[in-house]
Order: sequence, then structure tokens, then C-alpha cells
Amino acid sequence: MTARVAKVFSEVLGVSPEHITDETSPDNTPQWDSMAAMNLVVAIEDEFDVRLSTAEIISMRNVAIVKKVLTTKGVADA
Amino acid sequence: MPMAELIDTAGRSAAIEAKKAWREHVARGDSTAPAIRVGLAASFTADTLVPFFGAALLAENIAAEFKVGPYNQLFQACLDPQAAFGGACDVIVLLWRLEDLMFDEITGFLGGDHEALKRAGAKLAQLAGAIRQLRGGFSGMVVVGVPPYPTGVATSLLSLDNGGGLGGFHRTLAGQFIDEIGRIEGVRLVDLDAVQRQVGASAAFDARKWYLYRQPFSDGFLNTLGRQLGRIVMASRRAAKKCLVLDADNTLWGGIIGEDGIDGIQIGDEFPGSAYRDFQKLVLSWRQQGVFIAVASKNNEADVWEVFDKHSGMVLRREHLSAWQINWLPKAEGVPLIARALNIGTDSLVFIDDNPMEVAYMRDARPEVTSILLPADPADIVSVLQELTLFDQLEITDEDRKRADMMRAERDREVLGAQINHTDFLQALDLRVDLFRARTEDLGRITQLINKTNQFNLTTIRRTLDEVRELAASDDFRLYGLRVTDKFGEYGLTGVIIARISPDRRRWTIDTLLLSCRVLGRGVETALIGALADDARAIGAVEFAASFIPTAKNSLSASFLPDQGFSPVGDREWHLALADAPAIPSHIQRTGAEGAAGRGFDAEPFQTRLSAIAG
Repeated sequence: MTARVAKVFSEVLGVSPEHITDETSPDNTPQWDSMAAMNLVVAIEDEFDVRLSTAEIISMRNVAIVKKVLTTKGVADA
Repeated sequence: MPMAELIDTAGRSAAIEAKKAWREHVARGDSTAPAIRVGLAASFTADTLVPFFGAALLAENIAAEFKVGPYNQLFQACLDPQAAFGGACDVIVLLWRLEDLMFDEITGFLGGDHEALKRAGAKLAQLAGAIRQLRGGFSGMVVVGVPPYPTGVATSLLSLDNGGGLGGFHRTLAGQFIDEIGRIEGVRLVDLDAVQRQVGASAAFDARKWYLYRQPFSDGFLNTLGRQLGRIVMASRRAAKKCLVLDADNTLWGGIIGEDGIDGIQIGDEFPGSAYRDFQKLVLSWRQQGVFIAVASKNNEADVWEVFDKHSGMVLRREHLSAWQINWLPKAEGVPLIARALNIGTDSLVFIDDNPMEVAYMRDARPEVTSILLPADPADIVSVLQELTLFDQLEITDEDRKRADMMRAERDREVLGAQINHTDFLQALDLRVDLFRARTEDLGRITQLINKTNQFNLTTIRRTLDEVRELAASDDFRLYGLRVTDKFGEYGLTGVIIARISPDRRRWTIDTLLLSCRVLGRGVETALIGALADDARAIGAVEFAASFIPTAKNSLSASFLPDQGFSPVGDREWHLALADAPAIPSHIQRTGAEGAAGRGFDAEPFQTRLSAIAG
């Protein structure tokens, strides 16, 4: 999952995958603006075939939280 | 490239593909100037539409640059587009939703306030007024959205009183908006209501995106809308295909006439015959837009005509066909003969056949022909092929509607040509040309000619309707149309000249000169220069300047300038002293008000005519 998460973030944010870490967040990544946030939601849903609730979307303030949310949704290969 | 398969634009994978294509385009950061600049303003956050709209244009090799106006500032975008979009645009797209602009009126209406509908109508009229103002002051293309059915309103599409409730509200206002926009010349509609139906209202709305980002639409909706917008923009920039070449057996009817006989083939009211009959109706609708219909079939000719002439289930009749190749030639050889008979390029042909081998062979031997495999299940034929955008054109003129009929007169002309020698033929033709200053009502057809004429075209400069309109209003240009008539009938508006007049009025530079191939080879080319020279001399000009810009397709016009007496000056430019200009050939008569009045018309009435365009 880590590689797939990095790929999704890298594509949507236009940042190379090695720069995507657990700490990547809107605070340290200027590309992560509100447009990108919306695109991330759609891209994550498409990549992992899940549906995110508004509460989950609002909680996803960095990559580590995104991974945790995906794990609770049963995305296995973490 | 044009696709034969129906693409499910609402589907998830198509949306992902589109976003990926756009992302990669942006990442490449092409330094070349964008082909078009699109200003996008909406009553909702429209940024998310950009990747889909952009990808649809990229698929047609158009790199667009988008400027998204501030959220929910449609009026400002109309009144000051430069400021709203931060610069000039070629295309402005305005999208809105009823629930964004008139939420209170919707609530009031649903609560039984019957005045609410009137108040909403007044708001809508204000929006239409702003759009009219935008149209008046902006020379590019304007595309305006028909509002979709309101979503995110606390009432269900399936509520039992929807017909008189929200459904009635939407129908009334969408209808009123379409009427109001229809009264403004030169504004295109993009039907978000139709896009929403296509995708499905529940699949089109994403409540989470709406609440979190003020962006109501799902990717499936946005992708379908982006495609539709791309299609509208492309239709204004690309020449539509001119001729549809159809196989016969198992394409126009089920079965094989040579084997099954006229009683054995399937065409008529019963499935699968009904599916083929409906396909023939679709073909006829294309013919009514001006597309030539032709048949290429490996058969005995008499067998095929028997079906056309005698089978009661046939919708297409023999007189609907402009050309045919019914013989045992390989189709890759027969189909170019159809193009030649119609005086069009083979790249203007669309070929449809049910046989994968024939389609593959044509694609290989004649890649410039757009070859499409008929869907295998007859039930899919119409639903897939009605999505074809190859024949799209925004302005369908009377010329288009009559074209296929005019081509029948052409066949009669050829019979005459075969009977007598060329000089006698020309005399007997009784040719009349009318070279006239273009009027408002001609500009649609003229724009179409400018964008689709390939072979006899000196410079192949393409222009949008708005550019042509602007040029027609300019004092520095003269815009002419040419009508040709002979004893067999009218060829219609078949030629265009745009001349740029030098500030001292002494030199006319021919910016554009094009003729439909239908009128070539009868001295019309010379008559055109002769008539133009008469007009130019009448206002004191002494010289024509012109250039020939070679393309892959216009070799037909390569010798035009020397043939008419122009001399080369420098690299590309040619000059002709008006004293040496050719006269109108004796077998051709110049008719029309301007020919008869003999020139010397002042600019005043023309300006008056043009003011009707701007208004």
C-alpha cells in the first residue's frame, strides 16, 4: 500500500514519490491546496476502490493518517 | 482519433484516463503557446472541470490554456471578461445552476409562493442580459450552459409532486433560458441538463464534494461535460467529414442480397430489420445536414438497386445516394472513385462496414479514410453511431440542406458534358456568376467554406465565425461571396474572397481566395479575378497582391496565380497590375445587384447591414 499511496500523492501533487513521506501534509507541501485535496479524495477512492466519508476526508491532514484510514477500511497490503 | 467504439465517459476508468492525460500534459510544461485560451466561469467551483475539458481537446491535438474566473461571479465575467479571466480568451464558457443563483426562489416556490417563479424568471433575464452584453463586446466564442436539474436541494427527484414542484420549476426556467439565449446571435449552448440525464442525476452529484469544496459534480459528470465542451469547440475549428460511404449487405440491411434474395433480407418493422431501418433513418438525418451518402458494395449492381427500388422496408432510396461503387473491385480502389466523383478529398470520407476484414484492409490501404466497424449486434448500431462527432457542424445552412440534391444536378451536367465538345459545353452551360459583398446571413456559410475548403484554397487561412464577422465589419477588408448558377440549377455560395485594402486604397492584397471544387474547370476562376478587378478599379485600386501557401492538399490551386497573369515578386508574393487583369470570359455573365450596378457602391449601406450582426 505504501508504494501505491506514494504514487497517488505523487501524481496528484506533482511531487516525485521519494518526497512523499508519512509527514507530508498541506503545511509542508504547497501543492496540497484545496483543489488538490479534492483530487486526492477522488484518486484515493479510485486507486483503492473505497469510499471515504466526509469525516474521514476532513481528518486526512497528512499521509500517515491516510494510510491509517485505508487500513481501517481493510486495504490489506500495508 | 475518431473512435468507432462507444466510450462510456461517465465511467470511472475513462475519467481516470482523462485526468492522467491532462496531468501528464501539464507536467510536460510544453513551452509552445497554447492553441486556444479558454475562460471558464461558473456559479460553482469549476476548476475540477479543467482536466476533463483539457483532455478532450488534447485528444484532438489542441493544447488549451484555462483561466478559471472567481467562483460564482458570472455577472462580473460577462461585464468585464478581461478582469475576470486575467487576460484575453478565445473561448468563454459560462456554467450555472439554478440552486446557486436562485436558491431562495426555489425554496419559496416549493413552499407555495407562486410569485417565486416570476422572481426567478427576472433573475434569469438579468443573466441573459449580461450574456448579451458579453457577446456584444467579445469577439471569441461564447458557450453557455443550460442549468441541470437542481441537486442538493431538500427535495427528491422522485417526490410524488415533482411534475408541479421542483421538476416544473426546472423545466420552466431551463426552457426560458434556452429561449432567451436563442435570441442572442452567436452564443452556443452546452446542455448540462442533457449531460446529467446521460450520466444519471444521482451519479452526477457528489454531496461530499459539494459540502466540502462547493463543487457539486462527480468525475463521471465532469468527464462527460468536458467531452461535450471539447466537441463544441472542435466543431467550430475542424472541417466536418463530407461523405458517408456505406457497405450494403449486413450494414444497410440484415442478410446478403445475392444469397438471400429480396424476400430473404431483413429490413422493415421486425427486429433485426427494424434496427437496420433505424440506422437508415440516422443516415438520412446526416444527409439533411449536408453529408453526401454513398454505397460501396461487392455485389451485382442490379441486385442492390432492386432492394433500393422495390423493398418496402427501405427508408433510404436510390435518389438519396450521391455516388456508388457496386462492383467487385477491392473497396480500397472503389472508395477513392467515390471521392473523385464528388470532387472531395478521400480524407473527407467516413467508411462503415460490418466486415472486420474490409475495415482493416481500408485502414491499411487508405489510412486517411475514417473507417468504422459496424457494431456486431444490430441493436447497438444506432446507439453507438449516433454518438459520432465526425459530421458535427455548428452552423447548418440552407446550402447544406440542399447540397445532396444539388449533387444530383451535377450528374445531369456530366451527361451533357459527355455529349458535346468542351467549348460548346461551356456555351451551352449558360454560366452566371454573382460576386457580391457578404451580407449578415451569408457569414455562416462563408465561415464554413473558410474552414472546410482544402483543394482550391490559396492560403488555407481558417477563421471562426466571430473572426469573419469582425473582418466583415472592418474598413480595411472586403469580404466577397460568390454564387454560381447554370442552366441545371444553382451551385449555391461556393466561393469566398477576402481582400485587404492598403491604407492608400491602391493595392488589394488577397488574404483568402477559395472555391468549391464543384465549380472548377469552367472559367469561373478567371471570372472571379475579372469581377474582383472591376470592383477594385472602381474605387481607384491599381494592383492586386497575392500569395500561394502550399499545403498537402491545395496543389489544385498552385498554378492559379500565374494562370491569371500574376507575376512573382520575391519569394512567395505575386502581383498583378489591374490594367493587365483578365476580363470575365465571354461564356460567363456577371449577375447580381453589384454586377449590374457596375460597382462604385459606397460603404454606407454595407455598414448598415453589418450593424444588424453586432446587434
